[in-house]
Amino acid sequence: MLLAAPHINIDHPALRELAGLIVITLLMTVGVAYATWYERKIVARMQYRLGPTRNGPFGLLQPIADMLKLLVKEDLRPATADPVAWELSVFAIFIPAFLAFVAVPFTADWLISPLPLSLLYLVAVSGLSFIGFLLAGWGSDSKYALLGGMRAAAQLISYEIPLLLALLGVVMITSSADVYQIILYQDHVPLVVWQPLGFMIFLTASIAEVERPPFDIPTGESEVAGGVFIEYSGIRWSMFQLTSYVNMYVFALLGAFVFLGGWQFPFGTDWGWGWQLLLTVAKMSLFIVFYLWVRASLPRMRVDQLMSYAWKVLIPFALLQIFLNGLVIVYDAPDIALLLTSGAGALGLAYTAHKLVRRGAPRKPLQMVPVRARSSA
Amino acid sequence: MVLEQGHAVEIVDMPINMGPQHPSTHGVFRMVLAVNGEQVVNVTPHIGYMHRGGEKLMEAMDFRQGIGYADRTEYLAQFHAELGYVMAVERLMDLKVPDRAEYIRVILSELNRLSSHFMFMGAFGIDAGLFGTSFTFAFVQRENLLDLFEEVSGDRLMYAYFRVGGLAWEVTDNFVQRVHEVLKQAQQGIRDLDDLMTKNEIFMGRCQNVGAFSAKQAISYGMSGPLLRASGVPWDLRKDEPYSVYDRFNFEVPVGNYGDVYDRYLVRLEEMKQSIKIIEQALEQLPPEGPIVPEKMPRRLRTPPGEVYSKVESPRGEWGVYLVSKGGDKPYRLKMRSPSFCNLSALREMTIGQYLADAVMILGSMDIVLCCVDR
Amino acid sequence: MIGILKSMAQTARVVFRKPATVQYPEVHREIPNRDRAFPVLIWDEEHDEPFCTGCHACERACPVECMTVVMKDNPKHATGESKRRKIIDEFWIDYGRCMRCNICVEVCNFEAIGMNNTWAGHELSRFDRKELVMDLDQLMAQSKAGKVDPGLRA
Repeated sequence: MLLAAPHINIDHPALRELAGLIVITLLMTVGVAYATWYERKIVARMQYRLGPTRNGPFGLLQPIADMLKLLVKEDLRPATADPVAWELSVFAIFIPAFLAFVAVPFTADWLISPLPLSLLYLVAVSGLSFIGFLLAGWGSDSKYALLGGMRAAAQLISYEIPLLLALLGVVMITSSADVYQIILYQDHVPLVVWQPLGFMIFLTASIAEVERPPFDIPTGESEVAGGVFIEYSGIRWSMFQLTSYVNMYVFALLGAFVFLGGWQFPFGTDWGWGWQLLLTVAKMSLFIVFYLWVRASLPRMRVDQLMSYAWKVLIPFALLQIFLNGLVIVYDAPDIALLLTSGAGALGLAYTAHKLVRRGAPRKPLQMVPVRARSSA
Repeated sequence: MVLEQGHAVEIVDMPINMGPQHPSTHGVFRMVLAVNGEQVVNVTPHIGYMHRGGEKLMEAMDFRQGIGYADRTEYLAQFHAELGYVMAVERLMDLKVPDRAEYIRVILSELNRLSSHFMFMGAFGIDAGLFGTSFTFAFVQRENLLDLFEEVSGDRLMYAYFRVGGLAWEVTDNFVQRVHEVLKQAQQGIRDLDDLMTKNEIFMGRCQNVGAFSAKQAISYGMSGPLLRASGVPWDLRKDEPYSVYDRFNFEVPVGNYGDVYDRYLVRLEEMKQSIKIIEQALEQLPPEGPIVPEKMPRRLRTPPGEVYSKVESPRGEWGVYLVSKGGDKPYRLKMRSPSFCNLSALREMTIGQYLADAVMILGSMDIVLCCVDR
Repeated sequence: MIGILKSMAQTARVVFRKPATVQYPEVHREIPNRDRAFPVLIWDEEHDEPFCTGCHACERACPVECMTVVMKDNPKHATGESKRRKIIDEFWIDYGRCMRCNICVEVCNFEAIGMNNTWAGHELSRFDRKELVMDLDQLMAQSKAGKVDPGLRA
């Protein structure tokens, strides 16, 4: 059952997996290149603009033009950069992102490597990238890069915890840490219905993990010139950008599988790989459009606000979710209890986020001093 | 500055240079911050990158040629700069400007205030981290305003439209109707920006309690404009020392309470809405026809010897023109009291003790234009 | 949370509005009549010569001193074709210095100079700053070809 795409007629299982891996890597590389196109078009429409229109029809050749430009750029290298750390950081960020696709089931049959703990594998592997940020920050021998690298590492580590705890809540319900089994569990109702609080925490933590606005302190440090990747140019910088999009794809896929039902909901495995692939892509796109939408609408959070939000708000609520799940499971309550408790928790999270800003005494509104006409025409 | 010296480790403050070119575009301004971890310990602003010797140049120009220079000294509030200049000369020469010209001046000045505050909204959103959404929202509205200015005066940014005694030429025939159209779209634009930024929790978290400045401090630094009003001082030249025909309108002046960045943003947002009120009243009271220069307009603009200080409420604060004349058609000494310069001098006191990311927000909230600081 | 949702609703609303982009080289938006691009000399169709007599009024009035004017005796006056005694011989305007203030147009006694209000007046990019100094032929070219009708000539 769990084989590589059935229409690749290769008998040897290892070769088949290798073929699947090559297909995935190529697809994903082109896919993320076009993710930049997709992003620029959609974010532009939210800003009264059009996005790329000149290179090819609808600007479809824009990513290729960007790629060509970055390839021919001069490969600058700071003289005092640490030779090992500076070079390796690119790979240390890039490779774990692609490793994640080994365990991602695009349809019921298209899976390269079946793993019994694939959920943990996915989160663990995407969490490895913070080493790359530290290497980049330290190896660049620049104050801004160092600042940016430290902040990136802190942010990534902090938001791993609520991410994992939210997913752990799901594991408790489905009794399996395998993404495949979690998808199969959702044949009638997607897990977002039973775990709204977990879903909200997952959404927020995943945006922070891919370092997109409003959590883009490391990559969006326009305040102090560039951030972690200030010393990288040309193809190296584009590797960082693409990795950010690959990460976005991984988390979008994860969210689509774990919370929205993947290819199983609503039609099940009887409908063939075309429909399943379509469902996967559609649900992944919902997440991606959400990420882009959030990017265009929200300002950046300050570093201390970001960290306090993770530790003081998200982690307690994630623990609360696990506790509520535990209560429901231990007392053998019907599934509807999950919806009620988790729903209440979700409302509590929204309320806390709302109130966080309005701490202390309420702000006095502006006074309006009236001015009356003293003479007339 | 060496903070501690213990064992073999010296801990110093890290200097960060926000150089003359930086992405939060406020002009060529250099700020050297010394940070201790995340908190700013010292700020050294460096200005003068845009100094063009404007005041000296204007000593060689007569009172019509100098108007183009006054435009360029304040490139976001040009009509206010021109107004200050021509009002100074009119006061020296004791000229009475006809009513129609005064009303058109007020309408254009308030439209200019709208366009300058739209620019502030756009740039401030970028400083806060919005990826350009606020910028395009604001600039779509600003384009409408600039199109209107181009129809009336001929240029989108450097108008040179006011003259001593009134206006250079009559407005277009469909002026009133065009202003109504532009106002309707501007109201929509203000609502858009309001929805996008004002109640956004992240934005409020970035802005509240940042760069708080008390009324006493603001007055001692000679601040004016929205910064002074946000600190709680209800001083507005249109209310307290009205010039032109401002004493014929009913409007309100927003005054803040805390003097922090959020109050300044709110004050400017409210001011935009009040400007629209003033423009609507001025359009109603505008005499449908009439002269735009006085009947006894002298052929050559010669002022009697004397000195005068005239001031207007520009979007940034009090724009003053101190004109000393020894007779003749050129000024002997022309000093422009620039609001951005006086507001900027308070940057150090406002920023020390704040976080690094807040330094950018504070600079953005002061809404300086470097041409005004450096002249 | 409500504020964040409000921001997101605002950006979603903008998606359904018309974008403000003008695809520039293909589409030129309309320039109003009073637009002040750069000064050009006006051609007198009746007498087949420029209106400009080289009287130096604009040169004196220019705040940035961007004009150089040389006049000569008008050969057409000797033959009786034209009433202008003097006519312009050489005229240079440095478009790089001109600040487009319209004062030259206001002081001109003969309505001989006007501000170009067409796109050709705006699309004047050159690679070398010296090429921005326009001489007499370049200044008269637009009006001779009938392509410019400046507003605001009082």
